[in-house]
Amino acid sequence: MYNKIFTGLIIYTIFLLTLYAGDGKQYGDKLTLKTTTNVSDILANPEKFVGKKVLIKGTIVDVCKKRGCWMDISSDKEFEKIKVKVDDGVIVFPLTAKGKTATVEGEVYAITSAVETCSNGDHSGEEHGEECEHEKTKTEKTIYQIKGLGAVIK
Amino acid sequence: MKIRKWIRIFHRDIGYIAFGLTVVYAISGIAVNHVDEWNPNYVIEKNKTQINVADLNASLPDSILINSILIQLGEKRKFKSYFRPEKNTLQIYLEGNTIKANLISGEVENEIVSERTGFREVNFLHLNHPKKLWTYIADIYAIALAFLAITGLFMIEGKKGITGRGKWFTVIGILLPLLFLILYF
Repeated sequence: MYNKIFTGLIIYTIFLLTLYAGDGKQYGDKLTLKTTTNVSDILANPEKFVGKKVLIKGTIVDVCKKRGCWMDISSDKEFEKIKVKVDDGVIVFPLTAKGKTATVEGEVYAITSAVETCSNGDHSGEEHGEECEHEKTKTEKTIYQIKGLGAVIK
Repeated sequence: MKIRKWIRIFHRDIGYIAFGLTVVYAISGIAVNHVDEWNPNYVIEKNKTQINVADLNASLPDSILINSILIQLGEKRKFKSYFRPEKNTLQIYLEGNTIKANLISGEVENEIVSERTGFREVNFLHLNHPKKLWTYIADIYAIALAFLAITGLFMIEGKKGITGRGKWFTVIGILLPLLFLILYF
């Protein structure tokens, strides 16, 4: 009796698994917006979009190598791209998605950070291992990203 | 001692089911534990080469530039798309690799990405990328592990059981995480 119940439970669980298995192309939440916004429009006037939900479409030009927690999406205009950041582990973009087309829904947000600049106009030079021989001044730099909520990659 | 009999039966059968999942979580656990030292999902190879830029003018149409670069490199992989991050740089995405070409210096960086077969699949499950029903399966598995741990304590009677030397091993197992919490938390 016990054997039959136990085996039956296992078969039933496997059946449920097969029934509800999802496809792997959808990442995160399902897309709800119907109209896409040009990345160039967001980058041209980012403040207008901060806090707003947008749907963008473009080529995936780079992906976070270790955790898949961000990807860069190309703009409709030359030399432009925008970063889509997702919460670590909540959505994971595959590295092999580079070059594919992504439709992403998310919220535009701003990150402001202090950047040290040499008084002669150059950056502090730390990234090149050089020291600034002039007086350092701190300036604020704002970048705009999208907090990704859902994406479809094709 | 009827309870002990049922403990043994459930421990045995749930243990059989937990085998496959435990192997998945164990392999992936080691793999992702060292994420700072290696990429647990992909093998990324990079190599550099040089192309002749005499005929490559950045103002030429992108399709001509791409064709010329791919012919020079002898690339036969399927073309996916391309991107120009700046005027003199062209990134070409092929099936399995990315080519980054500097149109002025002719320096080309080729990044080949391949999946770590086996690891990628177990990491996919361990880190709950499938979500959906897998979330509940993983929850049930976690409960099953707790069940196996608790029932495991009462499997054997006597001096090798929990009342004998078993209690000391159990204490060590509890103290170990506590020690690291005191040291690092």
